[in-house]
Amino acid sequence: MQRSLLVFLATLLLVLGNSSLALAKPLNVPVVYYKLPNGLKVVISEDHIAPVVTVGVYYGVGFRVEPKGRTGFAHLFEHMMFQGSANVKKFEHAKYVEANGGSLNGHTDFDYTNYFETMPSNRVELGLWLEADRMRSLDVSEDNLKNQQNVVSEEVRVNVLNQPYQFFEWIDLWQNAFTNWNNAHNGYGDLADINAATIDDVRSFFKTYYAPNNAVLTIVGDVDVNEVKKMVEKNFNSIASQPTPPKPDLSEPQQTKEKRVAQTDKLANLPAVATGYHIPAQNSPDFPAMALLVQILQGDDSSRWYQRLVKEKELTLDLSGGLNYFGNEFDYSGPMIMTTRTTYKPGHTADEVIREMDAVLAELKTKGVTDKELADAKVRYRSSFYSQLESSFGKTHLLSVLALFRDDPAQINSLLTPFENVTAEQIKAAAGKYLVAANRTVIDRVPETKTPSKPGQ
Amino acid sequence: MKFVITLTILVLVSGVVVGQQKTPPAPGPARPLNLPKITEKKLANGLTVVLAPLPNVPKVTAVLTFRAATTASDRVAHPGIAQIVATVANEGTDTRTSKQIKEELRSIGGTLSLGSDADSTTLSSSALSEFSTRMFDLMSDVAQHPSFPDSELKLAQENTIQQIRAGRADPGFLANERFQKAVFGNHPYSFVVPDEKSINALTRADLRDFVSKFYIPNASHLIVVGDIDPDKTFAEVEKAFGSWKSGTLPPEDNPAVPKRDKRQIFFVNRPGSVQSTIYVGNASIPRKDKDYFAIRTANTIYGGSFYSRLTRNIRESKGYTYSPFSSSNTQAKTGSFQAGAFVRNEVTGPTLLEILYELDRMRVAAVTDEELNSAKEYSTGNFSVELASQNGLAGRINTIYTYELDKSFINDFRSKIEALTTADIQRVAAKYFDTYRAAIVIVGDWEKVKDQVTPFGDVTMYDAEGNVISKS
Repeated sequence: MQRSLLVFLATLLLVLGNSSLALAKPLNVPVVYYKLPNGLKVVISEDHIAPVVTVGVYYGVGFRVEPKGRTGFAHLFEHMMFQGSANVKKFEHAKYVEANGGSLNGHTDFDYTNYFETMPSNRVELGLWLEADRMRSLDVSEDNLKNQQNVVSEEVRVNVLNQPYQFFEWIDLWQNAFTNWNNAHNGYGDLADINAATIDDVRSFFKTYYAPNNAVLTIVGDVDVNEVKKMVEKNFNSIASQPTPPKPDLSEPQQTKEKRVAQTDKLANLPAVATGYHIPAQNSPDFPAMALLVQILQGDDSSRWYQRLVKEKELTLDLSGGLNYFGNEFDYSGPMIMTTRTTYKPGHTADEVIREMDAVLAELKTKGVTDKELADAKVRYRSSFYSQLESSFGKTHLLSVLALFRDDPAQINSLLTPFENVTAEQIKAAAGKYLVAANRTVIDRVPETKTPSKPGQ
Repeated sequence: MKFVITLTILVLVSGVVVGQQKTPPAPGPARPLNLPKITEKKLANGLTVVLAPLPNVPKVTAVLTFRAATTASDRVAHPGIAQIVATVANEGTDTRTSKQIKEELRSIGGTLSLGSDADSTTLSSSALSEFSTRMFDLMSDVAQHPSFPDSELKLAQENTIQQIRAGRADPGFLANERFQKAVFGNHPYSFVVPDEKSINALTRADLRDFVSKFYIPNASHLIVVGDIDPDKTFAEVEKAFGSWKSGTLPPEDNPAVPKRDKRQIFFVNRPGSVQSTIYVGNASIPRKDKDYFAIRTANTIYGGSFYSRLTRNIRESKGYTYSPFSSSNTQAKTGSFQAGAFVRNEVTGPTLLEILYELDRMRVAAVTDEELNSAKEYSTGNFSVELASQNGLAGRINTIYTYELDKSFINDFRSKIEALTTADIQRVAAKYFDTYRAAIVIVGDWEKVKDQVTPFGDVTMYDAEGNVISKS
């Protein structure tokens, strides 16, 4: 279906020539969307380009909802979903998927937790059976919990505690930029909290958040919609729904004063600075302009901040970050900051870096962007959007979050429109409104002065 | 408890027996493989061009590979030259500044980057397919006419030195560097990053000379994958690359890979570490070796997949680590096999014991039929997924040309994997999972873990800069 569309469009392009920016190829991802009687949202999208299918389950729970004293719990719980259910023993989920030619993973984010397997498409029902079994009958033991508390503690050590910078542009920046604990706390978790979790915590979290009426099931790939519908019904229909989980309070007061934080780092060799600006809500008319503004400032090596900091002033080595630290414009639901992280060269200061970033902003706020810059930002945006749709997993992800947060996965085909319509004036206005010092948090992280080590045998 | 109540209520309400099928559903009939149609052509200047349509999104991906590698003869006079050339080549051409290159990329929704490794340098690019002509023009310009402006070279030299300094704080970087040196000794495959002096010694003339010798069409290949029409795309490629002058590739002269006659420990001391970063392994086989498929599959069973022996043991059973791994890296001249884990200080010794135990177990006893069949399904299934992405397919075709493999590699993959027996796995494990002559690399806090490490062999200790501190 998609292939023939592309052939048609390619022909159209030959006729019309290939230099027109206006001729963005319209997307036509087929989307079937419905709900089971128990409230489970189901999305099916056929794609026959390869004999592959992705089955994804997205639950409406992320680390913003975990309770005080239990930082990192949503993620620890994700690990527990691989510890067995009524008909699948501990870790056998991985065995079934891999022995059937697939790969699998799970991920915990601000506002969702996902589980997915990509497999040869004739194994689609196995994926559905595995996901249904754990949604219906997660079976956990004290031993398995202790085991995964150890595993997750090592995950935190390898990715945070034993690393230079220790993820400061996420963990520390969020803790400082946000006021509401639900938004601000460390989602990877303090080791003490991770190890304090009990089996009752696991059971009650499962019952509250892992119900079919708090989830989306998405199937993308080389399958037949009608056959898959029958399999979905057979495996998921009888899973009981639960009371709708309470919505966490994510409200965040308006920041009125710049926050500056100084840190030292025991492991790093070079200093780094991170900034975070609160951005408009996803349903704000300013949001599409903000998203393109992020591209223009730090989207690639041609961007204004990269050119100024790395190339012209030769102050810093790199530039990373974006509008949503873990994902894209669509896969979160709550307050968000735009983050920027840059490693700067010894002999310079964070103030110099911030001064140059501010100079770039001042220019944007007075002169705005050029038409070419804006047109290019849109082309770049479209190109990265297509890349997200390239794999069956990429499509699964986007369809799932659109179903979860907007109850409308078919929006996938019109998602680009608001971004294509942004004007230079809107970009300039967004810079003036949101990218101001009073709306930001800055963390300067410098290496601790080291005493030379004298290791003995 | 709660689950039981829920189920009971449901049974009462719906009046039907509720529950899940107890055994996994059987697979449906196998779906057609849709192997890509790959066309190979040659330009008059000798450039091999390989085209494979994959219209999954309206984009195009291209990989241009030069025989400009760590093993290149220039390494002796100019260590690290291939790497620095790759870093600076897209920072200016005879007709474009660095900024113009980046802006052109932005306006075609494109990316372009170069990277050099042990066997080659690759220039990879992607763009919206409607702009493929402009993408090829840019690739061709960077390949043929990099100008290495003095200011760009100077900045790259400075920044590379600082980036390496930043990297020396990362335990993964240090473990990899020490492992490559331990396994490959004086062979150029041991190269990871150049030292400061070598970086600063490079001149614009050196870089231009290197490009004229190694960035030549008759020793290169270009892979193009994506939403393309092969004939039309070939015409675009011919127009962009047709005037590229061919040359003569200088011969290589590489020393042999050293043979280790005992187990050795290479300890990089990193005070303050809360984990030990452990790599265990040895040299293995070149990519073209007949044992490639066997060692690849042995790796899947040992530690190369999630449901592997190593993960079941030290993660799911013992809780020592988050993500243990093993990998088989086969390259043109030789390769390496390595296992590894990042573990809290207190279980450094126990982890080493289990890594070695699991290696030995692969050598002394055959794997089960079930394990082998799973590994075969895993390899062939994931191979299909890989071929369904533009990067995956381009990368796979690229290895065929870089390592001069059979052109039928993709079509034969399944049958080669399916032919393997448990005896094949044990034979390669016995040969290459040699625990008695393994290199053991540990990055960690010596004072905290030394008592757990010393029983495993003689220790040579290094600092983070790579200097030997002591030897036992």
